[in-house]
Amino acid sequence: MISRRLFLQTGTATIAISTAGGFAQASEPAGEPVYLGVSGPLTGPNAQYGAQWKQGFDLALDQINGSGGIKGRPLRYLFEDTQSDPKQTVAVAQKFVADKRIVAELGDFASPASMAASPIYQRAGLVQFGLTNSHPDFTKTGDFIWSNSVSQADEQPLNAAFAVKRLGFKRIAVLHLNTDWGRTSKDHFVAAAKNLGAEIVATEGYLPEEKDFRSTLVRVRDANPDSLFLVSYYADAALIVRAARQTGLAVPVAASSSIYSPKFVELGGEAAEGVFTAARFFPADPRPEVQTFVTSFKAKYGKEPDAFNAYAYDTMVLFGQVLREAPELDRRTVRDTLARVKDVPSVVYGKASFDTKTRRVAGARNAELVVKGGSFTLWGGGKATN
Amino acid sequence: MTSWFDHTINGLIIGNIYALLAVGLALIFGVSRLINFAHGSVYVVGAYVGWVAVSVLHTPFPLTLVIVVALTAVLGVVVERFGIRPLAGAPRIAPLLATIGLSFVLDQTVQILFSPDPRAVPMQLPNWRVAIGGGSIGVLDLLIGGIGITAASALFAFLKLTKWGWAVRATALDRDAARAMGVDVDKVNSIVFAVASGLGGVGGVLVGMYYNVITPTMGFEATLKGIVAEVVGGVGNVPGAIVGSLLLGIIESYGVALLGTSYRNLFAFILLIVILVLRPNGLFASRRQLPPEPMTGTFVAPSRPVRLPVPLVAAAAALAIALPLLVDSGYLIQTLTNVWLYALLGLSLTLVAGTSGQVSLGHAALLAIGGYTSALLALNLGWPVWLTLFCGGLVAAALGTLLVSPAFRLRGHYVSIATLGIGEIVALVILNWESVTRGPIGVAGIPPLSLFGYELYDTNAIYWFALALMAALALLQLRLLGSHLGRTLRAVRDDDVAARSFGIGLNRYKGLAFAFGGFFAGLSGAFTAHMYSYINHETFNTQISVLALTIAILGGMGNVGGAILGSLALIGLPEVFRVAAEYRILLYGIALLLLVRFRPQGLLGTV
Repeated sequence: MISRRLFLQTGTATIAISTAGGFAQASEPAGEPVYLGVSGPLTGPNAQYGAQWKQGFDLALDQINGSGGIKGRPLRYLFEDTQSDPKQTVAVAQKFVADKRIVAELGDFASPASMAASPIYQRAGLVQFGLTNSHPDFTKTGDFIWSNSVSQADEQPLNAAFAVKRLGFKRIAVLHLNTDWGRTSKDHFVAAAKNLGAEIVATEGYLPEEKDFRSTLVRVRDANPDSLFLVSYYADAALIVRAARQTGLAVPVAASSSIYSPKFVELGGEAAEGVFTAARFFPADPRPEVQTFVTSFKAKYGKEPDAFNAYAYDTMVLFGQVLREAPELDRRTVRDTLARVKDVPSVVYGKASFDTKTRRVAGARNAELVVKGGSFTLWGGGKATN
Repeated sequence: MTSWFDHTINGLIIGNIYALLAVGLALIFGVSRLINFAHGSVYVVGAYVGWVAVSVLHTPFPLTLVIVVALTAVLGVVVERFGIRPLAGAPRIAPLLATIGLSFVLDQTVQILFSPDPRAVPMQLPNWRVAIGGGSIGVLDLLIGGIGITAASALFAFLKLTKWGWAVRATALDRDAARAMGVDVDKVNSIVFAVASGLGGVGGVLVGMYYNVITPTMGFEATLKGIVAEVVGGVGNVPGAIVGSLLLGIIESYGVALLGTSYRNLFAFILLIVILVLRPNGLFASRRQLPPEPMTGTFVAPSRPVRLPVPLVAAAAALAIALPLLVDSGYLIQTLTNVWLYALLGLSLTLVAGTSGQVSLGHAALLAIGGYTSALLALNLGWPVWLTLFCGGLVAAALGTLLVSPAFRLRGHYVSIATLGIGEIVALVILNWESVTRGPIGVAGIPPLSLFGYELYDTNAIYWFALALMAALALLQLRLLGSHLGRTLRAVRDDDVAARSFGIGLNRYKGLAFAFGGFFAGLSGAFTAHMYSYINHETFNTQISVLALTIAILGGMGNVGGAILGSLALIGLPEVFRVAAEYRILLYGIALLLLVRFRPQGLLGTV
């Protein structure tokens, strides 16, 4: 453990130096650090998401520790790699639960891995905080399980309104990732779109490893849709829009906010042009929390942030505020403070507060975007709406 | 009607892509009789070498291909020389494990060097497209097809017309006879690995350009499809691999057209099973061809098992029982609980694969069947958990035996490939049979473990329960192996022709082995489901099947103590390497390679 802690400390030290220009650098607080545990994938098929979390966390930590830390103590995290594999998340959960320095836990990534560990956190009275856990049952294990992941019951009606009312989609074909997230999202989208009077002419669920979408798109083409809606991550969405061109399916495409990443445009190339999405934020959004996030992210990493960076950043900022407001830094008080914090500045929500019954945050913002000239730009000059 | 034409074209396009890997796999299998799980990793390396050439060095397209071929061919030679050749005298199963270890090492190295983010590979060819049916095909489609066919023809000519080609074929037919006739078998293997790997590397970069995306983890799925295509065409048959790939692509495409996208792989694996059962030598094998594994008995090599001194075993057992009282570490206890559950899985596989010689690569399916049965009975019908655990084991035994029964007539590697396919089919049925399994949403809120009406939440209580279950079944298995049943199963493994001529009904005994194994694995899966409280179709995935086999081989095939020790090593090592963060799976792969290299018969030896 010594080597790991040392690694984290030296890591943060170099970061502090490299961003010294960006912030009026207050020297880092010197007290005994306050720790959060992070359980997530750093190796294995989902490793990219763990790496994106880290970038978001580190950026938020620079800001939190640069402005006095937590009551004069620096905030740090211990990241344990689980490959998002349930047998490893349960072991890591036991490790975090036993480590008295840890005041709350963040993660894991995929639902099977995260929810396998929930009973352990709940019983031990350590907050398990899901950054990306939109599974409808995730917080139901008990009162120590919280999430600021956007509920699909909130997000998808906004997407449906964008697609049907403003883009004028009437006969929609839906392609969705056939996972718990994709399936739940698809169901909410379909229900909302039907309510608004659109017809769903086809729904196709595909496996996460899928690379070839030509056959799927020919099947979709036969249903004669006037538009496509994608419940996808950016890598598969890029494959789908490329294959759509090759199969001669030339209809407008809209997608859920999860495709919001500079990588989507890079991987999709020309085929990404004209794709619509309703993202949580976009770089030109004038809200101060977005501007702080986007400009400091670019300064630190030299690239545009994406949705997963934003979730991680938001979560760490939230915990910065929760731990500052908590009267004591014990686990139960941290949980009680989560229930109490109001209007925490958030890239995704604008102002985040928890519904103490569902232990989730309501009211995600969304900005209606379209890919134009190789980047996401605001659609039709409309404003970001709630 | 035009759509069917389009579906056919789409099938040919994707089949084209499968062929790039299938040809290399066929070549390696033809000569080394080895399913090379590292082949997909070579393909990944090829893709990243191509990316560096195009994006960093800005090489023109032909030069990019030359660089990729050169580097991956060298990699192939290195893999053969240091990964496979030292195991030439070891049981056949050892190199299989070595390729799994190699694939960990290669994938992780790529991931560490290039980050796990997907990357775009800029296309270096003009973007001309030809309209065909309702869609279009591009230059790259034609090039991939061209390279596939050219490579296969060149290989065919090489094998039929050149002296080295004869040597390769002679080695494929009978390694020892070829050596006796003066063929430098090692050199032949080197050549084969170089050629196959170079082709795999080109495949990686072309597929990267085709989809404009490469990731360090894309190898496993590609290997899987390559293996299916290879088997359809007839293992070791190079032109057959191409036709098999195209056929696989078309069947998948028609499957999507008929039932929808989430059924694509179901069609692929059902095709695999049908071919294996009806024509195990592949579609194009001549009737006169030798049976696929002529040398029975060498697949699992006999060795002298290590006799563990009774006092040592007793001391270890006492320590295991007393441990929760001695140390206060939930982490250690949880990890060991996982060890006992995977030991149960290892016991199951060591019985099926080690004792009766049916090397299964689909064991995760048994966990899934047990887990879902127990979870759904407890949740939907409110049955007590001790009873549903038992039912989980029974259903896994019954259903597992039934599902595998078509594969009873197969031998050697064919059993592995068939069980791999059956495992995938079970996972896909769980995903698609929503009315029962709740599909991708999974089963949440599974009741906790309970015994005599008391719910077990405590980490230590769960630990003792798992330990007791595992120990009881391990003792049962020891008893079984010492009985006439154990002797019969070993006879089937060592020489099934001789066993049959002694009047042993092979299928019945294989069925018995799978029934016992299924019960053990089903129980382990059911226990896991209640411990996790949530499962979906991804909880018990193919990686777990591979892990189960690794446990059984590492411990020593058929060895009860070995399965427990193997589980301790393979569940424990990644936890021990935790301090190494991103490097831990790399270290795990290296440790695995070293273990195979120096203990190819397993830690405790074959029983």
